[in-house]
Amino acid sequence: MAVDPKLRFLVVDDFSTMRRIVRNLLKELGFTNVDEAEDGAIALQKLQAGGFEFVVTDWNMPNMDGLTLLQSIRATPNLKHLPVLMITAEAKKENIIAAAQAGASGYIVKPFTAGTLSEKLNKIFEKMGQG
Amino acid sequence: MTANNDSSDLEALFDSIAADVKVEAPAPKPVQPPAASKTGDDDDLQALFDTVAAEYVVSEPVAATEPAGGAAWSAQESVFNRIGHMARQLHDTLRQLGYDKLIEDTVSALPDAKDRLAYVANLTEQAACRVLNATDIANPLVDDMEKGATQLGERWDKLFANQLSVNEFKELAGETRAFLKEQLPQKTRATHAQLTEIMMAQDFQDLTGQVIKKIVTLAQDLESGLMGVLIEAVPDTRRTQEVDNLMNGPVVNAEGRSDVVVNQQQVDDLLDSLGF
Repeated sequence: MAVDPKLRFLVVDDFSTMRRIVRNLLKELGFTNVDEAEDGAIALQKLQAGGFEFVVTDWNMPNMDGLTLLQSIRATPNLKHLPVLMITAEAKKENIIAAAQAGASGYIVKPFTAGTLSEKLNKIFEKMGQG
Repeated sequence: MTANNDSSDLEALFDSIAADVKVEAPAPKPVQPPAASKTGDDDDLQALFDTVAAEYVVSEPVAATEPAGGAAWSAQESVFNRIGHMARQLHDTLRQLGYDKLIEDTVSALPDAKDRLAYVANLTEQAACRVLNATDIANPLVDDMEKGATQLGERWDKLFANQLSVNEFKELAGETRAFLKEQLPQKTRATHAQLTEIMMAQDFQDLTGQVIKKIVTLAQDLESGLMGVLIEAVPDTRRTQEVDNLMNGPVVNAEGRSDVVVNQQQVDDLLDSLGF
C-alpha cells in the first residue's frame, strides 16, 4: 500500500548514534519527517504536544524506559492508536512477550539490518491500512 | 544498552545475598579450601588461595570454632571478621610468596579502570560519528553520479532511436566526455576518500581492544578473590538464583540459554506462536 512519505516519526533512544542510524534508515526508506527524543519522558512530552504518527523506541533508557513509554502511550486516549515499534538489545523471551502484551506493534532485536526495519514497518503499515 | 546495567544486576545479587545472610545467620564454619571459583582463573591464584585457606584452618581456630549461638557476633560481623582474617592471612602469604607487588599493581590499576572505560566509550562514539559523517558526505556524491549517468544514458537512447539532431549529438558527445573525464573521476575520488575515512574510523578497535583486555584481566583477578569469599558466605540455594529483570542489555553469550532469542527470526516466530 502507498504510505504517506510525510508520515511523522519519533525516534526514541538514549544513544545519539542509534537515533542517527534509525533516522538515516528511515530516510532511505523515504521518510524524512523524523524527530528524536533521548528518553521515554521526553518522548512522552513530545508526543503529547501532538503531530506524531509513528514511534520507534529503544527499551533500556534513563528516566523512562521504552516499555513504560509504550504502556503510557496505550493508556493515553489521544495517543493509544499510535503504532510503536521497539528496537532493542533486550533479547529475552519474556521481554518480547511483555512488549507484545503491552501492545507493541513490532519488535526488532539489535543488531538489526535495514531490511528488517523495512519489513517490520511495512507489516505495521499493512495492519494500519486494515484497521 | 546502558553501562550501569551490570552494576545494578550485581547490586541486586548483592542485596539478595545480604538479606539471606541476615535471616539465616549461618554459624561460621571451618574454612573450606575456597571451592574452585567457576571461572578459569590462573593456577597461581588458585594455589595461592589453597595455601591461604590451609593456613587459616591451622592457625586461626578461634574464628572457626565460634559457637553457633554466639550472640556477640551478628551474622554480618562474623562474615566481616572472617574476611578480615583472610585478608591478614592473604597479606602475609602474599608477602612470603612475593605476590604483594602484584596485588599492589592490581589495586593501583583500579582507579585507572574507570578512566579507561570512559576512554573506550569516547573512542567508539567518535568512530560512530566519523562513519556516519562520511556516509552523509558520500551518499549525495553517489546519487549525483547515478543521476548524471541516467540522464546521459537516456539521451544516448534517444540518439540510437534517431531522435537527435547532429548538433544535439555533438552536444551530448561533449557532455558525455566531460562527465567521464571530469565529473565522474572527481566524484569517485571524493567517494573514495570517504570510504578511506570509514576504514580509518575503525582504528579505535585496536585501542579499545587493548584497554578492554587490561580491564578484563583486572576484573578476573578481583573476581577470583571475591568469588572465594562469596562461595563460602552464600548458602547453596542462593548460588544458582539468577537476577531477573527486563533490562539486561545485549546478550553477551547465548550459548546454552533457552530464555533468549538470538535473531530476528526467533523474535517473529515467538510472537507468531503467541498469536501477536
